[in-house]
Amino acid sequence: MGRYIVRRLLWVVVLVFAVVTITFLIFSVLPSGADPARLRAGRSPNPRLVEEIRHRYKLDQPVTAQYGLYISNLVTKLDFGHSFQNDTDVLDEIFKRLPATISLALGACVVWLFVGISVGIISAVRRRSILDRTAMGLSLVAISAPVFWLGLVALYLFADDIGKIPILPGAGSYTPLTDDPIKWFTGLILPWLVLAAAFAAIYARLVRGNLIETMSEDYIRTARAKGLSERKVILRHGLRSAITPVVSALGLDLGLLLAGNAILTETVFNIPGIGRMSYNAIVNSDLPTIEGVVLFGALFIVVLNLIVDIAYAFIDPRVRYS
Amino acid sequence: MLMRRSALRMLLVLCAGGLAAVVIAACGGGGGGGGGGNAKTSAPSGAQKGGTLTVLANADVDYIDCGAAYYQFSYQIEYAYCRPLYSYKPQDKGVPSPDVASGPAQISQDGKTVTVHMKSGIKFGPPVNREVTSKDVKYAIERGFNKNVANGYAGAYFGDVQGAAEAAKKADGEPISGIVTPDDHTIVFKLTESTGTVVAGALGLPLSTPVPEEYAKKFDQQNPSDYGNHIVATGPYMIQNDSSGKLTGYEPMKNITLVRNPNWDPKTDYRPAYLDKIIVKEGVDPDVGSRQIVDGQNLVNGDFTPPPAILKQVATSKKDQLLLIDSGGGRFMSFNFKVPPFNDINVRKAVIAGMDRNALRLTRGGEVIGPIMQHQLPPGFPGFEEAGGQNPPPGADWLQNPNGSKTVSAKYFKAAGMSSGKYEGNDKILVVGDDSGVGGRAAEVAASQLQDMGFKLNFRQVPHSTMYTKFCNVPKANVAFCPNTGWFKDFIDPQTLLDPLFNGKNILQENNSNWPQMNDPTVNKLLDQAKLTVNRDERAKLFAQADQKITMLAPNVPWVWDKQPNIASKNVAAVGNSFNATIDLNFTSIKQQ
Repeated sequence: MGRYIVRRLLWVVVLVFAVVTITFLIFSVLPSGADPARLRAGRSPNPRLVEEIRHRYKLDQPVTAQYGLYISNLVTKLDFGHSFQNDTDVLDEIFKRLPATISLALGACVVWLFVGISVGIISAVRRRSILDRTAMGLSLVAISAPVFWLGLVALYLFADDIGKIPILPGAGSYTPLTDDPIKWFTGLILPWLVLAAAFAAIYARLVRGNLIETMSEDYIRTARAKGLSERKVILRHGLRSAITPVVSALGLDLGLLLAGNAILTETVFNIPGIGRMSYNAIVNSDLPTIEGVVLFGALFIVVLNLIVDIAYAFIDPRVRYS
Repeated sequence: MLMRRSALRMLLVLCAGGLAAVVIAACGGGGGGGGGGNAKTSAPSGAQKGGTLTVLANADVDYIDCGAAYYQFSYQIEYAYCRPLYSYKPQDKGVPSPDVASGPAQISQDGKTVTVHMKSGIKFGPPVNREVTSKDVKYAIERGFNKNVANGYAGAYFGDVQGAAEAAKKADGEPISGIVTPDDHTIVFKLTESTGTVVAGALGLPLSTPVPEEYAKKFDQQNPSDYGNHIVATGPYMIQNDSSGKLTGYEPMKNITLVRNPNWDPKTDYRPAYLDKIIVKEGVDPDVGSRQIVDGQNLVNGDFTPPPAILKQVATSKKDQLLLIDSGGGRFMSFNFKVPPFNDINVRKAVIAGMDRNALRLTRGGEVIGPIMQHQLPPGFPGFEEAGGQNPPPGADWLQNPNGSKTVSAKYFKAAGMSSGKYEGNDKILVVGDDSGVGGRAAEVAASQLQDMGFKLNFRQVPHSTMYTKFCNVPKANVAFCPNTGWFKDFIDPQTLLDPLFNGKNILQENNSNWPQMNDPTVNKLLDQAKLTVNRDERAKLFAQADQKITMLAPNVPWVWDKQPNIASKNVAAVGNSFNATIDLNFTSIKQQ
């Protein structure tokens, strides 16, 4: 097991290095519409000032030198770069916004796991019933509905300021957990539901498919033959096996969301998280911020995948030796 | 219109992305009338003091420091805590009112000296707490040349002050010899050219807001200056701060909280400042935010434009929640004289004549957003009437029909040697427009119409900022036609509209705003002559002549002199400011219930 973990960790290092390099190349070498020096120089820069800034931030050095500096700052100082637009360190800003994103992602995750697994089980058990067909039909709708559209519809229906049935706090209601836990909870209900909708639908279909397959295995028949209750057969034997791909998908999905991929939900509901930060950075061509967020997101995903891989190895010993 | 010289230019950037501020002329009301576009330009009688107003915004101010800000939305917020020498009352058209100044700027006969006397009794907010002097204004303008502050218009409007050229070169914020303070309440600007009128006009911009050197200098020595995070108020409001002056009421991209400035003396100010508190909430989706404003309480819009559906709803059934204010500029599609076939004036005229400019205007909301643009100076500007008013210059038949005229278009194509009455060239011409929002739609409509005229296009759609920074502002990019250009005033003087766009001296290799690359000796001469003319009437006439000459050279397809729609909640007595085309927070109040 130790060797397996070491092997995975080495892969993580290689992966992160690759991500850092590719990110740097994309934002520093490939042509783009934004010049960091010009951004930093303000709205009416004279060429001399732009050159001075370019020199000060070593943007006039060869790409290889810039890359070396970038790696060195990243490794030795954990320096993700500096936003020329907001004049803030990117990592500081990411950490400031991380609690909002974590609140959104984890809450939505709870919702989609609960809904997705429950619906998946019911659909698998009541296969081809009206319940199954309705659930799977609705899941298609949820998967197909763009999250920004769903967000707007949810607001126009349920937000307490602009909704037709004003029962829940709407856009701009996010309150940090430490400020007011009740407001934090109520302010996130709509965003959780909206963000979780598509994931819940995907997970429901995933669980359903896997469970149907598992329930036809010999060991399930054996379990039934032993006289175990159907409930125990499904939950202890069937679901346990069917859930492993869900764990795998969860690592990736949660990683993506925590890395700022809830851009649309954060934008529609005005939640000051990393997604919103990415949106602002994109709109303002703030390359260091975009670069930092991409890198941070990649790290998050890589680390979560590592955790998932290790968890897999614990769950299924065959993984360690493959 | 992007990053040079137009405080209001960013507005276009936002509008193009479908995000910018908006609205309609909710006529009348409390009105002092007169405000461009029928907006209410005075507070209702008996407006009540107190209450909290929330401004919903999609993005942040560009700079919280008034000496660096160069953006319409920033001005909207910052005129609540910054008092320049002059500023614009909601109904002011043309000449700003004395603010920190005690009377109009005195321009010498030769136009080379501008003298301003200042009021006494104006104090800085906490933690500085002392009286403002002329030295604070001198420092404020000098720091605009400091590279750490990098004000966007200091060089353009104060560049003729003696010593300013050197200051711009050094860019370290050192004293400028041509700004003199004979006493604590007098400041004199000595100029190298007769450009006193422009310098006096620019004193109405936020750069002339006093800055206490002894407090700010240490922040200005940092790069970038950190004074913004410690800014000291002179206006009726201040951003919440701690005892050291560090702002606690500003979180970039999240919110700005303004509270009353305890050192503000209403006797020294024309602002009524009804509200007790102003909160700016940023990161708001324009669609959601607009609905929140229309259906909610105590809300107004900041930097975004209500989407067309909401605009239509408000314009028809909730007129009292809508203010339409002339933006003081226009939108036009620019030809590049250096790139064939638009080096041929007849081809340009043919294209203008053939364009359905009404269709273009519909992409932004139709007639409600303003009249069809017919020449360069917009309504309300000195020289507008002399240049033709709402009509094109005499003889400009290619501008006569806003719906487009195939006959006139064919006439000019034929004059260009194309006997079919359509464009007959085979080369693809490069057209670069916006890729999204209303700007994207306008670009698509224009491209379609060009194709109908026979042009073969290499049509590229890119983000609005990229359209400027990589293409239309860069002559070597050889873009033939830019459908999403536009320009708004910095202040109400024709120079701020015509000179950057059409004077041959302003053709730059980067950040160019003379998109046609027009370098016509007659136009250049007229513009230079007008710039140096002190007499306002004479000046207006010269700029009007320049406008006509420019328009006759067919540099662009002018399609709308637009109005900015702004919206407010039902319980808000919103007052629009004609200068900034936004809701004036100093005059807006909460209605009595």
